[in-house]
Amino acid sequence: MDRSKKYMNPYLAGFLIGLFMIAAYFFSGEGLGASGALKTTVVAATDVVAHDYAKEAEFFKRYVSSPDSVPIKTWLIFEVLGVIAGAILSAAIFGRLGSEIVKPPHITNKTRLIAAASGGLLFGIGSQLGRGCTSGMVMSGMSVLSLSGFIGLIAIFGGGYLIAYFFRKLWI
Amino acid sequence: MGPLFPTNIIGEELNLLLAFFIGIGFGFLLEAAGFTNTRKLAGVFYGYDFVVLKVFFSAAITAAIGIYLLSYYGYMDIKEIFYPQTYWIPTLVGGFIMAFGFIIGGFCPGTSICAAATGKLDAIVFVGGAIIGIFFYAFTYESLWMNLRQSGAMGEVNIAEWIGISQGLFIFLLTVVAAIAFYVVTIIQQRVTSKRDFKL
Amino acid sequence: MKKFEIFIVVVLLVGAVWAFTLDDVKRHVNERLTPCQLIDLTLSADKFITTDELAKRIMNNDPSIVLIDLRRKAEFDLYSLPGAINIPIENLLDEQYKAVLDQKTYTNVFFSNSSDLSAKAWMICTRMGYKNNYILQGGLNYWAETILRPTKPKQTAVNAEFVKYNFRRAASSYFVGTSVVDENKEVKNIAPAPAKGKKKEAAGGGCD
Repeated sequence: MDRSKKYMNPYLAGFLIGLFMIAAYFFSGEGLGASGALKTTVVAATDVVAHDYAKEAEFFKRYVSSPDSVPIKTWLIFEVLGVIAGAILSAAIFGRLGSEIVKPPHITNKTRLIAAASGGLLFGIGSQLGRGCTSGMVMSGMSVLSLSGFIGLIAIFGGGYLIAYFFRKLWI
Repeated sequence: MGPLFPTNIIGEELNLLLAFFIGIGFGFLLEAAGFTNTRKLAGVFYGYDFVVLKVFFSAAITAAIGIYLLSYYGYMDIKEIFYPQTYWIPTLVGGFIMAFGFIIGGFCPGTSICAAATGKLDAIVFVGGAIIGIFFYAFTYESLWMNLRQSGAMGEVNIAEWIGISQGLFIFLLTVVAAIAFYVVTIIQQRVTSKRDFKL
Repeated sequence: MKKFEIFIVVVLLVGAVWAFTLDDVKRHVNERLTPCQLIDLTLSADKFITTDELAKRIMNNDPSIVLIDLRRKAEFDLYSLPGAINIPIENLLDEQYKAVLDQKTYTNVFFSNSSDLSAKAWMICTRMGYKNNYILQGGLNYWAETILRPTKPKQTAVNAEFVKYNFRRAASSYFVGTSVVDENKEVKNIAPAPAKGKKKEAAGGGCD
């Protein structure tokens, strides 16, 4: 199955993403993000289940303690809902919709799923510590020439190249 | 004039509606560029597919040029927009943790959300892992992370000012470096894939 | 590389050259205010936060409030507001405090014994283009007078005065530490969380 032909040209896609990034900044003053929406979900869930805990705990109290704030109704949540809709739309148009596990042929499904879960776990922690992920911190940060965006770029991709060799069995 | 929402030109409902439509564009393009395929993403580290680097740099440079020009000609007040504060220590450490996450998991949060939406089971597992990770971070915040997260505070730092060159020059150099990188990775990709077919 | 790809890269390079030929947008310097703007800001009453307002927000655990004590370290160590941080006014422009003063997320409240030092600090910060800084009206003296030791209004006073007094008594017990059960109930009624600065919280932004 040769799917790669149906992918959009990467430079064109990047250029258009850049235009959407400008739009996000111009209309709303926000960068494009993803992990922030996951965090908001976590905060909202904790707030629903254990409001008293969330009100006091150092991590949550920044977001929940004023009584009439609705933590879930944020820009990033709506943006990420759009991302989900957009991804489904594109996958439907290009015929890539459907349940599957993408992996190199020599890797078992189980290995791939365990690796994905551990990777997600690490990314969840790292994105909170680093104040954002690849899109919200690095790409948005680079767009406004923020130093932190470039530090993040070096740490994520530089770090990736440093350790890629040790995890090569997962991919090649 | 801009940004329109922080300067109260548009209301909250419209702002959230725009967030949704901007998100649709972002998600569509990520999927269309192949970011839902974890092997294409990991390819950037092993030299067989550089789509991540190409998309990432063209997007960041387009946005950087656009935002710089908008603010130069007075259409956008850069003081009102989201400007990440620089805390260099946690960003470096967090970034390194994210590097492990990227290599092992094969996604980053944005791409995993796209891929999960299109039905990739590994992406759904990745998103689940990320949520558990954030829960873990949240509940151990005070004991493990709080001091580290607040260390190395530098405020809102512009990289060009920090280096000591003009922003225009920095954008220009970044673009030149990216153009050279685009050329070099194209050659690397040809060499790597000519030795072995990766059948993405 | 394909022709189409080269075209996009050339477009980006042209944009970059365009940006390069412009003068620098001085992100920080440009934000400094003209004397006229400074006068407008100085004359507006928005820069003050009353002791009642502050007491309410502290009691509601408003996370966006940052209390900044401008007095000397010795005075700060002796007594200050709960959770306050100490930035002696001589050190106001030190690099280490820049991240605290020049930001968009929190509401900074300056205070000292009276409003004197805070007004100076506010002026300096405003001149630097820093936002979200406020002055505690009357300073710690007025705080003690209104919140810690409120005086009872005369019997002839209007009802609103008594509501205010009841609130202050409740606040007093909150800050001083004596428990007055009845009036604590009162607090909940008359202290709707002032979710001021909705926009500020929204501007947390990005991925963080």
